[in-house]
Amino acid sequence: MKKISVPQKNHWLARFQRSTHYGDIPWSALIIIASFLVLALVIAIGWMLWQQSADTRAQFGWSFILPTSNSVWDPLKGVYQSWTFIYGTLITSLFAIIFAIPISVGIAVFLAELCPEPLRLPLGWMIELLAAIPSVVYGLWGIFVFLPNVVVPVGQGLAAAFGQIPLLNTFFIGPIPLSGSSRLAAAMILTIMIVPTITAISRDVLLAIPNTQREAAMGMGSTRWEMIWQVLLPYGLSGILGAIILGLGRALGETMAVTMVIGNSLEATNSLLKPGSTMASLLANQFKEAVSQLHTDAMIEIGLTLFVITLILNLIARFLVWQVARRTPQEARA
Amino acid sequence: MSKFLRSFVFVIIAFSFLLAACGTSATPTPTSAPANTQAPAATSAPAMPASTATPTPLAPGSITLNGSGSTFQAPAESEYAFAFPLVDPAVVINYQPTGSGAGIKAISDGTVDFAGSDAVPTADQYTAGKDLQMYPFLAGATVLTYNIPELDPKGPALILDGNTLVGIYNATITKWNDPAIAKLNPQIASKLPAKQITVVHRSDGSGTTSIFSAALTSFSTTWTAGSGTTINWPADKAGNGVGGNGSSGVAAAVQNTPESIGYVEYSYATSNKLPFSQMVNKAGQTVTASADSTASAMNDFANSFTPQLTNTIVNGSGAGSWPIAGYTYIIIHQTSMTDCVKASKLVEYINWILTNSVATARAKALGYVPLTSAVQQLALATLGKVTCNGQPVMTH
Repeated sequence: MKKISVPQKNHWLARFQRSTHYGDIPWSALIIIASFLVLALVIAIGWMLWQQSADTRAQFGWSFILPTSNSVWDPLKGVYQSWTFIYGTLITSLFAIIFAIPISVGIAVFLAELCPEPLRLPLGWMIELLAAIPSVVYGLWGIFVFLPNVVVPVGQGLAAAFGQIPLLNTFFIGPIPLSGSSRLAAAMILTIMIVPTITAISRDVLLAIPNTQREAAMGMGSTRWEMIWQVLLPYGLSGILGAIILGLGRALGETMAVTMVIGNSLEATNSLLKPGSTMASLLANQFKEAVSQLHTDAMIEIGLTLFVITLILNLIARFLVWQVARRTPQEARA
Repeated sequence: MSKFLRSFVFVIIAFSFLLAACGTSATPTPTSAPANTQAPAATSAPAMPASTATPTPLAPGSITLNGSGSTFQAPAESEYAFAFPLVDPAVVINYQPTGSGAGIKAISDGTVDFAGSDAVPTADQYTAGKDLQMYPFLAGATVLTYNIPELDPKGPALILDGNTLVGIYNATITKWNDPAIAKLNPQIASKLPAKQITVVHRSDGSGTTSIFSAALTSFSTTWTAGSGTTINWPADKAGNGVGGNGSSGVAAAVQNTPESIGYVEYSYATSNKLPFSQMVNKAGQTVTASADSTASAMNDFANSFTPQLTNTIVNGSGAGSWPIAGYTYIIIHQTSMTDCVKASKLVEYINWILTNSVATARAKALGYVPLTSAVQQLALATLGKVTCNGQPVMTH
């Protein structure tokens, strides 16, 4: 027994054992590592993108990203303007969000409030399953099933309905290509891809609302519709907005499925019904076989632009959530 | 204060573990791959013409030749990577299909032993790479696959010529019943529809695009979009162009779009049973894509190689020449290699690719076209001039 040496009281090992006894320090150390890693990663990516795009930033300056009506991307002539792709990313994500919000909030309300009990679990599983399908599968299914059967008729309908109206015809001038490959196809595929994310989180937000809110609303004589529309949704608005931000993040960065259905045109058209490119799809297409160093640099600057745009949109969205969360207690939670 | 210090120590310790973990996982293949290649090599090596270049035999799998580049030649490289260790068990071939541009950069930077490329390096890239030498080792044809529902799939194939093709991709010929197309296809002229042609092209940078656009440039001066791995397509500007990602993307777009046309590699078209058009070549003959017609194109240009052994073989003048074809290359450092054992194995590998009947048969089965003997002799002569530390590498 005497052979087993117990560390002296102030020996470093003894201090180590005492300090780890309750696990506080290792735990806080782990948290510090994790949070510093995230920070370091963001800074490292941003720095690398900034550093390696120096040539194109010097050569093209702001004209690289500023909106122009006829932006040119021609690797063979060495002219690079990326507005078409910035526009493509923003317009597809915007329409995806516009399509997705009513659908996913509707499903979430149904699942949380109206769904008969036996249906609730299987439906919930289905939604979560949809979120786990790889994007390349969405792309494949899009090309062979969704585009010819859904996007083409919808696109033709939109062109017929809005194609002649001034202002609106900027976005809806037809005709849509017979294959369906267009910005509209990308927006609709993105919608399907982000609906599960927004739905799952919104449902959890609605389920977390205390029952007293529902009882109070019912007690004051409101109908179910009034309870959902005037009490539950305002109460959970900040959480639902958070879910939409997550969906927007996925839409902005989605690469594979979009590349497969958007038609990959480099032309500076504005219509939703025409083939286009997003920043991510352009990177997927051209980065691997970039023809010159300047081309590679231009691709990296596109990466930088996407990085910054995502950052800005996220900041705006966070601000929105914060505003709503601050306002809610006075109006709904009181 | 001391609490913070202690947690800081933990951070350091944890990071060092993390780094240690990274260090071990970063070097996976060289140690594990030889174990697999060793067994079959031991049994079949005696039957093959084994290398006698080195006096003391090297341990199986002790030399790894790293390569990267062209995706077009990747299927052939992976066949070679399987077969070559049976010939020389000391060698492991590791080829990463990262794209031609990335391959050229990697060989210039010295991060790989050889690179694969369908594209010819620019003058700047040659300067940066110092002593880059290209070795053509296979050729491939590009064909036009089309989807015209009005035509009988078992009937005669569509026939196009250079000017018509340029017209279609320039969007100056926009309907299938255009007189220019009808004139070339007297048998099926009545069935050609008065419908808009959808023009499909590769959206990703590709050696196939490079070959195809070089052909368009050669066909007609009205093609002004130039040639390269990425093109600004005039048909896109006209609004009837669609880009597909990869050969599969082009094939899917053509398959799904009535009245469309797109270009893919011959090997892809045959293995996926896609219909493809015949072409009227420079000599005025109607030819179909095949190994023979591509070989004929190679012979047309056998005397026009550059010192770096690059060549364009589009729009050849031979009666049987397929007009849209190109070489794919292996790139090595011709004079600046310093590891002479590795250099000799690399030369041995390229020599085997160029001359061995098993290697060419495997490539041919994949739809590539092996070199004609004139081109092969040229490549072998250049391979004999490879030096390592000033000494010639090839001894026999």
